[in-house]
Amino acid sequence: MQKSLIAVSSITYAMKAKKLLNNMGLYCEIQKTPKNLGSGCGYSIRVRDDLRYIFSILDSENIAHKAYQKIPE
Amino acid sequence: MIYFDNSATTYPKPSAVLNRAEYASRYLGGNPGRSGHKMSVRVADEVYKVREKVADFFNAKPENVVFTLNCTHAINFAMKGVMQEGGHIIISSLEHNAVSRPAFALAQTNRNVSLSVAKVADRNEKTVSNFKSLIRKNTKCICMMAASNVTGEILPFNEIAAVCKKKGICFILDAAQGAGVMDIKLGEGINFICCAGHKGLYGLSGTGVLISDGKYPLSTIIEGGTGATSLELKQTDFLPEQLESGTINVPGIISLGAGVDFVKKTGINNIRRKEDRLCDMFATQVGDLNNFTVIREYNKKYAPLVSFSYKNANSFEVTEYLSNRGFALRGGFHCSALAHKTLGTEEDGLTRFSPAVFNSEIEVKKLVTELKKVNNIGI
Repeated sequence: MQKSLIAVSSITYAMKAKKLLNNMGLYCEIQKTPKNLGSGCGYSIRVRDDLRYIFSILDSENIAHKAYQKIPE
Repeated sequence: MIYFDNSATTYPKPSAVLNRAEYASRYLGGNPGRSGHKMSVRVADEVYKVREKVADFFNAKPENVVFTLNCTHAINFAMKGVMQEGGHIIISSLEHNAVSRPAFALAQTNRNVSLSVAKVADRNEKTVSNFKSLIRKNTKCICMMAASNVTGEILPFNEIAAVCKKKGICFILDAAQGAGVMDIKLGEGINFICCAGHKGLYGLSGTGVLISDGKYPLSTIIEGGTGATSLELKQTDFLPEQLESGTINVPGIISLGAGVDFVKKTGINNIRRKEDRLCDMFATQVGDLNNFTVIREYNKKYAPLVSFSYKNANSFEVTEYLSNRGFALRGGFHCSALAHKTLGTEEDGLTRFSPAVFNSEIEVKKLVTELKKVNNIGI
């Protein structure tokens, strides 16, 4: 499945998201948010599952997701 | 030196705490939440693990655990953050200056803030009643200690927090002397817990935590780089980064994680049992000496520390004498103007005996033997 990048609020929320998704057996890595996706030195999570599914998990734990983009294969 | 000044900061630290602090200094070199390279993310991961441990310990969410320099910073963040728009604040008559001074400063500098001091009474019911009687329509916050750093007296904070919950008042708990020896959790009216990391949680000096239940957004008293929202001039407005401007104390935080592990593994009840036993032994034996007065009352509960006075010398002289004979205790006023005024000890102060889990009965016996000498022949 194609990977996506989701910008989150901070490194703390990126860590929280990573633990949450990894604990559910889902791929998640942390990286700096690229310039075109955020408004400063933020952090993003790299995922490869259905985004609606990922967003529903993040929403359930109040992890705000600011913007996202698909990562070219 | 036999160390009985653990209410100021615990010593020695558990080996695991020292090992983790060294590990962090040696290997966790990146700046967490800043640079984004692998080292930086690895450090951020280690810091987040400590947030999780502290959150679990106090029944909070990891993102609502703010690392501070000490308990005083945590209290200032909470109190000033809640009170910035004004209102009425109540504190107790035994508060440490960490609570009374920021409250006093707010009332002095912000004409929209007023301050009341509730008297801690002989009975808990009366103390709760004293707090209740001071509540006004505009009371926004009650800030009080879990246990006195001067006498060890445990205050009825759970009951007062319950009153706050009922009346929609923010409750801030100063858990400096409670964390690690009392079961303290967020909830049931407690909105913020402030505590030192270097006392009952056995982390290194320079560590503290502010724990929020997230119900009361805080304004800031320090702004700066947070590693988030960097292109905006407006301060980051979400926890924990909002209150963690500037680079955080990574070795200290990592040591705190090991300290929390140590407390959990040893067990709060076991730590408390051991320290209570030493305090009871000390209080009983020194209480029998005719020239000493121990500050304990039979109908009150105490955190593990004992303060006392000596008839023929002030507390500074007593602690200096003991220091010269190899005992570390704290004399004076313990940064607690209100408490010493309340106790009537603002002239000579008190000498405080505060053991930790590493102290032994033999060490207490040695101290008591020395005090018996003082009792018989003076200093």
